[in-house]
Amino acid sequence: MEPGAEHESDQPQRQDRLALIEVFERDGRMGRSASVRRWPLTLGRALDNDVVLDDPHIAAHHATLQLGGGGRLQLQVGDSINGVSVGQVHHKAGAQVPLPPEGATLQLGGVKLRLRLPQERLAPERALPALARAHLVGPLIAGLALVLLALLDHWLSLDPGADAAAWLPMVVGLPVVLTGWCVLWALASKLFQHRFDFLGHLRIALPWLLAIELLDLVLTPLAASLGWPWLWRLVAPLQLLLAVLMLRQHLMQVLPQSGRVVTTFLVAAALAGTAISLAMTQRATDRYSRPAYMSTLPLPALNLSRPVSAPQLVQELAPLAEQLAARVKKAREDEPPEGEGSRD
Amino acid sequence: MLVPLVSTLIVQSLIARSLIAMVACTLALPALAASTPAVAPTLPAAPAAAAAASAAQPASAPEATLTGAGQRIYERTRPRLLQVRTLLKTQDSQSSVGSGFLIDEDAHLITNYHVVSQYALQPTRHRLVYATVDGKQGALQLLAFDVVHDLALLKPVDATPLAGRGAVELRPQNDALPRGARIFSLGNPLDVGFAVAEGNYNGPVERSFLPTLFFGGSLSGGMSGGPALDEQGRLVGVNVAARRDGEQVSFLVPADPVRALIARGRGNAPITEPAWPEITRQLMQHEANLTERFIAQPWRNAGHPIYTIPVPQETWMRCWGQGTPQATRGLQFERSDCEMDSRIFVSGPLLTGYITVRHEAYDGSRIGALRFMERYSSSFGNEFVGQDDRFRTAGQCVERSVSAAARVGNGSKAARTTTLPLKAVICLRAYKKLEGLLDMMVLVATLDGKTTGVQGRMDAHGISLASAQRLAQHYLDGFAWNPAQNTNPTSPSAKTASR
Repeated sequence: MEPGAEHESDQPQRQDRLALIEVFERDGRMGRSASVRRWPLTLGRALDNDVVLDDPHIAAHHATLQLGGGGRLQLQVGDSINGVSVGQVHHKAGAQVPLPPEGATLQLGGVKLRLRLPQERLAPERALPALARAHLVGPLIAGLALVLLALLDHWLSLDPGADAAAWLPMVVGLPVVLTGWCVLWALASKLFQHRFDFLGHLRIALPWLLAIELLDLVLTPLAASLGWPWLWRLVAPLQLLLAVLMLRQHLMQVLPQSGRVVTTFLVAAALAGTAISLAMTQRATDRYSRPAYMSTLPLPALNLSRPVSAPQLVQELAPLAEQLAARVKKAREDEPPEGEGSRD
Repeated sequence: MLVPLVSTLIVQSLIARSLIAMVACTLALPALAASTPAVAPTLPAAPAAAAAASAAQPASAPEATLTGAGQRIYERTRPRLLQVRTLLKTQDSQSSVGSGFLIDEDAHLITNYHVVSQYALQPTRHRLVYATVDGKQGALQLLAFDVVHDLALLKPVDATPLAGRGAVELRPQNDALPRGARIFSLGNPLDVGFAVAEGNYNGPVERSFLPTLFFGGSLSGGMSGGPALDEQGRLVGVNVAARRDGEQVSFLVPADPVRALIARGRGNAPITEPAWPEITRQLMQHEANLTERFIAQPWRNAGHPIYTIPVPQETWMRCWGQGTPQATRGLQFERSDCEMDSRIFVSGPLLTGYITVRHEAYDGSRIGALRFMERYSSSFGNEFVGQDDRFRTAGQCVERSVSAAARVGNGSKAARTTTLPLKAVICLRAYKKLEGLLDMMVLVATLDGKTTGVQGRMDAHGISLASAQRLAQHYLDGFAWNPAQNTNPTSPSAKTASR
């Protein structure tokens, strides 16, 4: 056994442990850890190091951790091509870097290490994605509500006295789609987290899907009742926002360490999607939103919009015609002159 | 939009864009090919057609020896009959073919506007050429046209080959032709060769906005612009169109607009610039006239128990009705589609200058209020406005809740002044080349009924902004409560009405 470090499987002696070094596998799981009982500590591929790291991108004597002036721990980068990254900052061979007292993440070649020091701030205990009953009540209610909404929707679309077989697509389809969605995410979890977390993803999907459904169910008729087209136009972007948030939560369940990357990716994807959709709409209709008459008509009892008189509405045609005239002018400017190239 | 197929009014222009193009682009040819199976495969090359046709004719025989009226008419008109071709300037291949005839000793000739429309719209890319029965050819100039009645007046660049051929005489205005009289239509169908088609004069087409004559004979593509003559060889009308869903239902432009065009266009300088401004001017006149006459007519009532629904008079429109079968479990509806026959040809894909009005009356008593609203909404939402295309901009719409104007009940008894809540959408599209002309769509849905409702749509094509406003107002004014309705406990109208 090396003098400075010992493996956790050996008899622990908590009193004289100065630090703990955790070595991560490539998939992000912790592979092994070593207690540090004295400084300096050497890291490298050669056998005479305190912690021997078997990675082809690591030098024989890659780095040394030692106490510097004032008793502060510092990193001495050894004779290495690849150098050492402390957190996000990369250091070349020969550099001397003071280390923060609460510990740091080190990248040596292809190996990721975590140096834990006594002053570290421990994250609070995280609850297990437990199967405890209390954790299932919320999703269960959300699931029931979602099914009820889907049933209502399907009921609306069927004529009275419809064949029972007409319910099959809904009764079979909804569970199949929902299960499929969660299975795919659970497989992703299995890949990155080594855990087939079906229930975890189900608990994420149900409330968000319910919220997306409810938004449409409430805002669309509300917009129709109040005669507010802008509210109707908000429904789709809000639904998109909720869907993005749902995806983010799924992704965070799969890749809990990569919060920033996930958020950046989703925001970029949502922005790109919105931009493409706006551009397509603009090409087709010369506007960035479809005509609002696609919205729901209000129920007679809930028709709260303030009506205008017919002459008032007709007056609004003049500015519309002006806009169109401008559009025509632009179209003419864009067009090549008549008979170009064939004048003789 | 469901339109009963048997009765749709598809008036085919008789323009023959070479036989191959006809096969591809019109509904007409399958039937035509079936009746004349030998035509297509043995069609001679186009420039040879006139020569072949003339060769097939016996050398001009003295008129006295001719027995049949058709023979006599053809023999007399033969020198005055022409084929009018539009050629692409760059490659000399014909892009459309029609017929024409000389109307004076100066060799002015008349054909349809649609025969020369490509030249009128793109004079720098096309040129016009005539071919006579005896194989003479020469360049033509366009002097004037009447886009509304589909007529054009032309003149040869060099009048000498056409000099001394006489002219087709116009039948006098006051000399009405009796229905059933024999008339003869001449032209060069499908570029096959000059031909006479005998048929009957059946008077003016009923319910047509523009004066059009009904010719009970066969017209084919390529005969457009040819003359239809009475037994004395005088002009009754100009071949213009045919219906392909019937037999021997063809149409002629009457002689009056021909006379007017000759009078105003004979001294004109040739047209060398794209004719969009002149077309716009003529369409503006037409739309003003159309709007005036449309608004002057009161709406008919649709006979709905609760609502007054605007349905146009059938003076020059045709309405078709359709309903769901009685046994339907779901939403029941009745619809009415009213359309004008007369549409104005501007260029191949662009027809304008007409109005359509339709409505759907829904009864959801068998499905309940919630289901009714779901179907009623989606029916309102699936109306199509039209996207940006070559000729028109995309539609721009305004949408409002509207209270229909107060309507005084019929008769002098207790006049009712109640308003009907409506949802109204008005969309406009502007023509890119016809400056100042618009297409308008007005969409209306009644909003008061839990399980009843009416949705109406009026489309007006090729109108000015002022006309659009007047027509929209006129249409919205057509919606109201039915003053004769019985007290209906389910309808809020009953409550408001009994105030």
